Amino acid sequence: MKKILLMLSTLITCAFTAQAKLNVVATLPDFGSLAREIGGDKVNVTVLAKPTEDSHFVDARPSFVVSLRNADALIDGGAELELGWLPPLLQNTRNPKIEIGKPGRVQASQGIHLMNVPTNVTRAAGDVHALGNPHFTVDPIIAKAIAQHIAQSFSALDPVNAAFYEGNYKKFEATINAKLQEWGTALLPFKGQHVVAYHDSWPYFAHRFGLNIDIFLEPKPGIPPSPSHLAEVIAQMRAQHIKAIIVEPFHDRRIAEKVASATGAKVVEFSQFPGGLPGTDSYVKLIDTLVSRLAAALK
Amino acid sequence: MKKMILFALAVLPVATVSAQEAAPAASSSPAPTVSNATPATAADVEALRGQVQSLVETVKALQQQVKDQQAALEKANLTGESGLPQNPEPSPIAGAEESAAPAGNAPPRFPTEDTSVVSSTTAPAASSVPGVSASPFPASGGFPTTDTSVVTSTPETISSTGAGTSLTQPITIGGGRNYMNISLDGLFALAYSSARDLDHIEVGDHDPQQRGFNARNVELAFDGAVDPYFEGFANIVFKLDNDNQTEVEVEEAFMQTTSLPFNLQLKAGQFFAAFGRLNPTHPHTWEFVDTPLVNGLFLGPDGLRGVGAQGSWTLPLPWYSQLIFASQNGRGSTGFSFRNPGDDRMFFDRITTDREARGLQDFVWIPRFENSFNLSDTQTVLAGVSGAFGSNETGANSRTQIYGADFLYKWKSSHAEGGFPFVKWQTEFMYRRFQAGHGADDSFPVAETFHDWGLYSQVTWGFKKGWVAGIRGDYVHMQDSMFTDDLDRQSRWRLSANLTWYPTEFSKIRLQYNQDFLEENFFLSAREVESIFLQWEFILGAHGAHKF
Repeated sequence: MKKILLMLSTLITCAFTAQAKLNVVATLPDFGSLAREIGGDKVNVTVLAKPTEDSHFVDARPSFVVSLRNADALIDGGAELELGWLPPLLQNTRNPKIEIGKPGRVQASQGIHLMNVPTNVTRAAGDVHALGNPHFTVDPIIAKAIAQHIAQSFSALDPVNAAFYEGNYKKFEATINAKLQEWGTALLPFKGQHVVAYHDSWPYFAHRFGLNIDIFLEPKPGIPPSPSHLAEVIAQMRAQHIKAIIVEPFHDRRIAEKVASATGAKVVEFSQFPGGLPGTDSYVKLIDTLVSRLAAALK
Repeated sequence: MKKMILFALAVLPVATVSAQEAAPAASSSPAPTVSNATPATAADVEALRGQVQSLVETVKALQQQVKDQQAALEKANLTGESGLPQNPEPSPIAGAEESAAPAGNAPPRFPTEDTSVVSSTTAPAASSVPGVSASPFPASGGFPTTDTSVVTSTPETISSTGAGTSLTQPITIGGGRNYMNISLDGLFALAYSSARDLDHIEVGDHDPQQRGFNARNVELAFDGAVDPYFEGFANIVFKLDNDNQTEVEVEEAFMQTTSLPFNLQLKAGQFFAAFGRLNPTHPHTWEFVDTPLVNGLFLGPDGLRGVGAQGSWTLPLPWYSQLIFASQNGRGSTGFSFRNPGDDRMFFDRITTDREARGLQDFVWIPRFENSFNLSDTQTVLAGVSGAFGSNETGANSRTQIYGADFLYKWKSSHAEGGFPFVKWQTEFMYRRFQAGHGADDSFPVAETFHDWGLYSQVTWGFKKGWVAGIRGDYVHMQDSMFTDDLDRQSRWRLSANLTWYPTEFSKIRLQYNQDFLEENFFLSAREVESIFLQWEFILGAHGAHKF
């Protein structure tokens, strides 16, 4: 009898200690990575989208409902990037803790000036986001703001560890501040240069480091490259001596290769998400990789 | 300017130290004089003045040095030259940080703040605990670490989330100024068939029903949050019949709870029964032009839907597991195998009764249990069993039971672009037990119990962004009867193949080929039918996303 009681009590303690960790769901891997920076071993982070897939079109897998149901916190972009798959998940989730307005809901775009907000929302312009370009986390200054937002949320949900989260945020902030010097210096020689991208995912990165990533292989966002548009791009690239084409893991690399061979430019594999490229399991490593790859291509 | 002063302040201690070091050498003798209590002479004052002067000059020189450095830095600074939304001049915040940082740090080069992108949120925080940020990582400053042009305003509390969103406004179009999604969906088809009775060959009400052009599903869809407690959905379908007359259907209109405890959810209104995979979905989400035979012939040409209420519970298990239970009136053609008086009050040759519900047994009761597992990161399985139980109108106490099992497997590439490539396999099986009674006033001579079953299985392959190829097999077995010559009681099978192009997720063009085989029975002879459909669709406005 005593043994059973003992076992029960250990079980209960285990259950409690397990519960003591915050369950955090992040829609996208970049938010997940920031949540890990802040939460450390005090949180369990579940990321819904894969770092290598197109984050506009993620399947609303039923298992996501289970993750969301058990979540203490949900971090989403809040800028319509997940519009095609998050709403039906939330309709089936029934978890009041992560409703908009609760401390358990972090919308990363809050407090961020979104770029390229369309004045006239029309789908004739392709896959346009009414609230502005949602690919903002690749700007390290914005990443700091999101990290702080996450730290505030975690502190509100788990006041006992508030100092821990705050401390982690400070550490992350200091790391980014220091790293910005490095990144800024590495890309300084290429200031003002034009770079071609497959999809318009990089205005924030370009803004931060003084680049112009403003020519795209897609004629309009979400519309596959057409031969006539690619011919135009090739002409532009030759005229402006553009040296690099950015593609993401899910893009058709062959198209970029074709354009590259016609112009002598290099194809640079980029990812918006930690884990999308080899050796980029954290946010800082991701930006490290992006900066060094781009600097190498532009040399 | 402020920054410079702060800088000077930071540098000052160093300056004074060096000045003190220089001072003893320059004027070692007057100093003891001062320390002696001898009254100060004019010469002493002069000497002191000289000292002060030299100190001031040293400071000035140092200040100049700092200034020069500053200027050089500003030249090198990226922000100044950026053509994009300007980063602020080295801001007071950055200065504050520097003052806190131990003197002698590497001076600022690359900005690490940018108020043009990030709100002042980070700023106060940065200055409030500057020591933390500065001490372990001394190299702060330089590249701006804040940017007010990208981050807007401090979230006062985290609870006031969302740019202009509130609980009553969770789904937005056009920049978050609307209370609901509103969309119009037009689904059309051009049809050719070797049969002259396409309306009989095709078993769904929204399938092509005549040779030539068909507009069977022009649909207005609304959805949004009603208030903090409910969400509302409505689908109003306009359908052009074969004489081009418009018919209107309230296909669905229901409300659903959002925040009941214990993972419960309630739904009430007019809605599709959660029977199997296909029945609860709208035709424009289907992967084929037409309804599978088993769905059209067992659940009805319009699917099983009606006015009712539904409760569902997701079980507290580590995988997705849901129990659903609904009750609907089941009356009329949308309760096809149930209290359906039929066309001209005939169903399976019986004259039907058309009566008020006598009790709970006259409602349709629809339970469902579904489970989903991830086989891997890229593979998902969803399997369910469903039932629909109720009365029918072919006799005084005639009952109908339909049982269903469904299975879905989906693989999607881990490097999917726009959701492609993928492979999806979907199968549904149904068994119907239908007690056909003696009809109204015992007018039909025999009572029969039909054991009918059928299934469809389809594979779709999204082989390239925007392109999907599909193949489907259908079979329905209708128990042969010597007494009932209803056209719908013919066993039959069908093979379909199609190719769909989605220019975007808001439009599609689909070409489909069907081969139908209708088997001989007691009354009807066998026949073979070939049909070709060209289907096209557009969606305007904000259309709510679909479930898995």
